[in-house]
Amino acid sequence: MSEEPESAPAAGADPAAKAELDRAFSDLYRAHLRDVYSYSYYRVGNHHDAEDLTEQAFLQAYRHFERARRESNGRPLRPWLIRIAHNLASNYHRDRARRPQTPLESTDPIPAKHGTEALVEGREELREVMANLEHLPTDRREALIMRFALGMDNREIARALGRTDGATKVLIHRAIKQLEEEMNRDG
Amino acid sequence: MAEGDAARIDVEGLLADALRPIEPPERLSGRIEETFSKITQAAADELSSWADELSESELQSLRDPRNWVRPVVAVGAGGLATGALVVLEMRRRGRTRARRGFRNIAGDLRSRL
Repeated sequence: MSEEPESAPAAGADPAAKAELDRAFSDLYRAHLRDVYSYSYYRVGNHHDAEDLTEQAFLQAYRHFERARRESNGRPLRPWLIRIAHNLASNYHRDRARRPQTPLESTDPIPAKHGTEALVEGREELREVMANLEHLPTDRREALIMRFALGMDNREIARALGRTDGATKVLIHRAIKQLEEEMNRDG
Repeated sequence: MAEGDAARIDVEGLLADALRPIEPPERLSGRIEETFSKITQAAADELSSWADELSESELQSLRDPRNWVRPVVAVGAGGLATGALVVLEMRRRGRTRARRGFRNIAGDLRSRL
């Protein structure tokens, strides 16, 4: 949990505008809590840290919500939220990598034995695809998490990753191709 | 369908199966909502203490439109005074120039005589 002091969005000095802004944020929170949590979970690989990251992401979003809403020109704010979670997850891995007592191997975002094993239900192929996913470069893995766990389209992923639509399309294509190659080699 | 395409569809299907959305635990919603309540309460407290710092007469004074007019009148009056000074200075310079002109003409006449 961040120790940084938080403050409510400004919304000028108009209480009605402030209330409206809080309502809009509340809607955003309810609509995307699962997205932010899923993304955080697949990035850090455990529920405890995923909860912390999710809370931090929404607190940061709350602080900058008014501006984000103004600058979005009516576009969906999900990519912005996921971008916040993405930055926090990157900081999380950077901080863990700096800790001398933590071996670098254990900074892998999705540990070999993670919670989704329950979902896998003994299917060897699924276990294999998750294991190969761990070996992808970070940007490819992130794009696949956004696409498959969150159901984001190319444009949304592009906005979340700060890339062009074309570059994102290529990124996802290469990620899938690399997975296919690795699975074919393994199988 | 090409062999490569079949392999791709398979991987995408596997990814969709493996990367299912994860439901956040209920305690997380409670925790986040509690934090937001605290922030909102803190903001409300801060606002009310800020309002308390101004006395009622100060607030009345700020609300009174007559107090908004006075500064405007003062600025206007200042502008008029500055304008008047400029006019006086120009007139003074004008008289000096006229005096100098008269002196020059008188000097010129004297030299001719």
